[in-house]
Amino acid sequence: MATSAHQTNIPAALTALVPRLREICGEDGVLTDLSRRRVYESDGLTYHRATPGVVALPTTTAQVAAVVSLCAEHGVPYVPRGAGTGLSAGALPHADGVLLVTSRMRRVVEIDPENECAVVEPGVTNLDITRAAAPHGYYYAPDPSSQQVCSVGGNVAENSGGAHCLKYGFTSGHVRGLEIVTPSGEVVELGGKATGAHGYDLIGAFIGSEGTLGVATRVTVSLTRSPQKTVTLLSAFTSMDAGGEAVGAIIAAGVLPSAIEMMDALAIEAAEAAVACGYPAGAAAVLVVELDGPTSEVDAQVERVTELCAASGSFETRTASGAVERALIWKGRKSAFAAVGRISPAYIVQDGVVPRTALGEVLGRIAALSAESGIRVANVFHAGDGNLHPLVLFDDAEPGAGERAEEVSGAILDLCVEHGGSITGEHGVGVDKACKMPRMYSDDDLTTFDLFRRAFDPAGIANPDKLLPTPRLCGERPGVRTGVHPLVESGQAEQF
Amino acid sequence: MKDLDVEGVTLWKGTEADAVCGVVPDRVARPKDTEALGRLLAAARATGATVTPRGGGTALDWGSPPRSLDLMVDTSALSWIDHNAGDLVVEVGAGTPLAELRRTLADAGQRLSYDPLRVGGTVGGALATGVSGPRRLLAGGLRDLVIGMTLVRADGVVARSGGRVVKNVAGYDLAKLHTGGYGTLGVIASAAFRLHPLPPAVRVVSVPLRSREDTERALADLRATTVVPAAVELDRDRLCVVLEGTAEGLVPRVEETLRALGEDGAEVAEELPEDWGLLPTEGTLARVLAPPAELPGLACDLDADVRGYGSVPAGTLYLAFAPGTPADVVEKRLAAVRHVPDRTAVLLRAEPHVREAGVDPWGEVPGLSLMRAVKDSFDPDHRLSPGRFAGGI
Amino acid sequence: MTERPGPERLFGDLLNDCVHCGFCLPTCPTDVLWGQEMDSPRGRIHLMSQMHEEDVLTETAVDHFDNCLGCLACVSSCPSGVAYDALLEHTRHRVETEHERPRGERVLRAAVFSLFPYRARLRALRGPLRAYRSGGVSSLVRRSGLLDRLSPTLATMERIAPPLSSPPPPLPELVPAVGARRARVGMLVGCVQGAFFPEVNTATARVLAMEGCDVVIPRAQGCCGALSGHAGRLREAVEFAKRFVEVFEAGQVERIVVNSAGCGSSMKHFDRTMAEAGESDAWVERAQKVSAKVVDLTEFLVELGPRAERHPLPLRVAYHDACHLSHGQGVTSQPRELLTQIPGLEVSDLPNKEICCGSAGVYNLFKPEAAAELGDRKGQDVAATGVGVLVSGNPGCSLQIASAMERAGTPVTVTHTARLLDASLRGLSVEQALGKV
Repeated sequence: MATSAHQTNIPAALTALVPRLREICGEDGVLTDLSRRRVYESDGLTYHRATPGVVALPTTTAQVAAVVSLCAEHGVPYVPRGAGTGLSAGALPHADGVLLVTSRMRRVVEIDPENECAVVEPGVTNLDITRAAAPHGYYYAPDPSSQQVCSVGGNVAENSGGAHCLKYGFTSGHVRGLEIVTPSGEVVELGGKATGAHGYDLIGAFIGSEGTLGVATRVTVSLTRSPQKTVTLLSAFTSMDAGGEAVGAIIAAGVLPSAIEMMDALAIEAAEAAVACGYPAGAAAVLVVELDGPTSEVDAQVERVTELCAASGSFETRTASGAVERALIWKGRKSAFAAVGRISPAYIVQDGVVPRTALGEVLGRIAALSAESGIRVANVFHAGDGNLHPLVLFDDAEPGAGERAEEVSGAILDLCVEHGGSITGEHGVGVDKACKMPRMYSDDDLTTFDLFRRAFDPAGIANPDKLLPTPRLCGERPGVRTGVHPLVESGQAEQF
Repeated sequence: MKDLDVEGVTLWKGTEADAVCGVVPDRVARPKDTEALGRLLAAARATGATVTPRGGGTALDWGSPPRSLDLMVDTSALSWIDHNAGDLVVEVGAGTPLAELRRTLADAGQRLSYDPLRVGGTVGGALATGVSGPRRLLAGGLRDLVIGMTLVRADGVVARSGGRVVKNVAGYDLAKLHTGGYGTLGVIASAAFRLHPLPPAVRVVSVPLRSREDTERALADLRATTVVPAAVELDRDRLCVVLEGTAEGLVPRVEETLRALGEDGAEVAEELPEDWGLLPTEGTLARVLAPPAELPGLACDLDADVRGYGSVPAGTLYLAFAPGTPADVVEKRLAAVRHVPDRTAVLLRAEPHVREAGVDPWGEVPGLSLMRAVKDSFDPDHRLSPGRFAGGI
Repeated sequence: MTERPGPERLFGDLLNDCVHCGFCLPTCPTDVLWGQEMDSPRGRIHLMSQMHEEDVLTETAVDHFDNCLGCLACVSSCPSGVAYDALLEHTRHRVETEHERPRGERVLRAAVFSLFPYRARLRALRGPLRAYRSGGVSSLVRRSGLLDRLSPTLATMERIAPPLSSPPPPLPELVPAVGARRARVGMLVGCVQGAFFPEVNTATARVLAMEGCDVVIPRAQGCCGALSGHAGRLREAVEFAKRFVEVFEAGQVERIVVNSAGCGSSMKHFDRTMAEAGESDAWVERAQKVSAKVVDLTEFLVELGPRAERHPLPLRVAYHDACHLSHGQGVTSQPRELLTQIPGLEVSDLPNKEICCGSAGVYNLFKPEAAAELGDRKGQDVAATGVGVLVSGNPGCSLQIASAMERAGTPVTVTHTARLLDASLRGLSVEQALGKV
């Protein structure tokens, strides 16, 4: 039987705010109904969940500023959220706070080909910038694999990269101007249509700050001229080592592909099962290498890369330059994450970075970890920049399997740090890795980060408990998670 | 000042030669390594000493004079290079001369894709002043190339941000914050950079800079090509396009570039000019930021007493005033830029008479309140290069 | 609710396939309109999980389920293969059986479902509709608020459909192959197609015959049940489906060709509908056999390969992907291939082609505002192509887009793939092809 809408359960601290939020965002811009709020309980990482106290859906900068000011006035925490595709629970709602969603701010304000830039609202998807710029012969270079859905605001918060950041860099290299709402509710304009700005590089520091320094409400991005030619190569190897050797050889030869991606046998198997991508049979590793630029340069590079792959033991290399053929090669790679779901009931996507020269050794150690634990690990990664995405497979119906998979996943991160790498290359820290920050940074490093955060957010209301370890989140000893997650214990979040 | 005499630091009396915009430091100290630098700054904090760092000393006349300067930190001993060629990454001490770094990397067929703006500078100085040269177009500016930084805070604490891998989003990117910070937030001890392979060949296609309309048309035609320039410079009286690649691959690219720019009076060189990217060492120097399409207008509309250099696609134009240019001329020129929306202008270097005349070197800097908050957080006592930066920071 | 049979367990499993990646959001028409999570497929799946796990169907959830157009764009964009179509049909069935709608809504729904699945009733309405159009509105129409809602849609159909005075002759039960026979196929007449666009059916039969098919068109065929099924009226859908299965079993055909996307998409899983309704295994099996034969006209013609000569048709057209063809059946390349085979015919795509036009079966009757807004957006996309002729494979889309463009003052000619093929095969002029002579 239908029940009436749940109006209750809004935390007491927020009930006074609701009428004011409605004044700011309009009736339909504030969600209080429980079942609606619950829909926002997680971002792309569903492992962490919490029902937001209230959800606000502003449509203008002024509304964002008013909502944040209201939060500041009442000392209420707020969490910004874009498309909710993040994989580090960076947009995990606060049970006693406001979830500030930018999904209704998605106007492409301006495409300015003369200045080779675009001005967009934060809710615009990454791919929509390219769609809008394409008629002018331009595109937006950063291309996270969720580009058709992830929002520019989210990209700014996470400093998103993508397969092609090997050559073209991350979001931070493509943002010229930001309009932000600070945690006190002040609207600040940084930069503009020129590259860079005078004074401290606040744009550079804001990008990748995971919503802890404010909310970007308008973004001016650089547009990149679409290359004259793009060629995608698919090269198959009988071992991961041989594939890794080819990557090293390509880099050493002074060739800078726009992307070098690698998949191991298990990942290939999954992709084949899901999309029948037709990768060469018997491959223990495939490389997807993309080269772009002026035709005269690309043609020579294709030849060179093909030779280098052959010299490293590739038994088959295919090249494609048409959009359809290239898409076919990418299909397997792009489907790999979701495809793994077809060969395993559950899996953890890890994100870590190692120096490229340590790839071989680290992959060997991961294989050993997998063999010891009996937990299968599929490897799909951005080989060009050493960004690993091990997929740790397990059966969630099997008791204890999830914990063992977590252990393997955590051990892989330890390997990354041990080899001078990073605990995250593109997914961000969020809640998920906040407690792992001490593995990579000293206490002094972390307090320095905190000094910076406090400069923007002295009251600690902007996306609290993200990015940096806190006792509330990680227990007394940072980095060691003992027992139940405090948010779970207090009934504010649940894990599964 | 005895309290500053800590282990691992050489200390001496400051002289005129050490002056920062005319302000002579009481002491100069040279720490031998990062730890010594940490001890030195901790000691400075204990004594309340004001501090300004110095690398190659090539930009001591940039920015505003410090309000107070008890201690100059000389980073020249922090000179070391740890190059990992296979990873296209290098980590260097702040005091390392850029020229030395360039030689080391070139030996391995690599480079830091940064065009120095001054001769004789160090890595730390380049970072602290932050401004990037013409070829930022392709590889990004210095702030895009720095992937990690070790810095010493005002309280002497040594802290690191980023690391030695290119792809890394763990924590705040404080390296960017300190790039261009003029040492007002901390002292840079070392930095890690991503590198690029040295291109096998370079071509410089240049055409005379004629009317504004002519230049705008040439730039529009160039934008429509897919030649992928490494730099597009308004270089004195010429428009200059740099292409990097293989000798064979460059042939059609040069042809296409010439078609776009017009072949009348065009020259194609096979290497960069000797003074490539260098800014004038004397006279008042301003840096203008504007929407790129407005640069030809800005550059072609200058009087004889000021010269415009610029990186067109970045929207950066340097205004080099002839030495001795009166303050009111500078002021008028700055005002003319600043009154147009979306245009900002900052004096990188003001001649003493310009400074003394009270010309505002910064103009309105968006986000100043946040910058002040950051400064207060990192240097609550305002002892690091006080007054050198925007808004008296 | 204590025990739940098989399909319910399946429902839970299907829900678990969603990994919450959000790839479905940008192609979802209601997300495009409103930008809020609970009106996106990912959000609706979350609401379905709430409903399933807690066995509660809230007013709020029903609202958001109702908002869904069922366009299945999310199925196309989902990398994890979530069967949103099955999830939605199950959910709608649950809503229909458990949720009591307000009286006004009930009356509207009853009226819609007693009219649309019946070709004869629709046809009988055409006369009064013409009167409505010409201003002579009957007192009956006036009195009924219900018809106020229905009339504009029906009137649009009437306006766009060729005049009643010259309806094509009714189709015989068998249209023999021209030349050597290549196949024996059944053909669906359809309700809206049959009542308002009989010439599309005529063209379809003629094209099939000219390509060497015996075309079997049983008079006894009724509605395929798609409208009912998509709306969660499972019982009704099953009854329609059963009759359909029986009729076509008797026809002894190799394939069953459908020229209406919405019908085809539903007919391809009669078996699922039967199973969901708890029908016997025997029925499920029979339905499965019939469903396996169902094929879209364009799909079938490409598979068959062209044999008849194509005459030139110098024309620039834009092709609109009907959701239930592209997302529901994965048929996107075939209609384009067939159209480009016509000499002189130039086909362009629409911007935002994966977004629904807002027609969505009877959605435009239940959610007129949202439907109109989506129609306007689609109309703008069509106008952006600068092409005056729009081709689609679904009668509902044609109506929806044509009326939106008329509203916007940028009228467009809509036609069906079959009609252009027919014209090309018969060597008609462009004017004849577009019915302008």
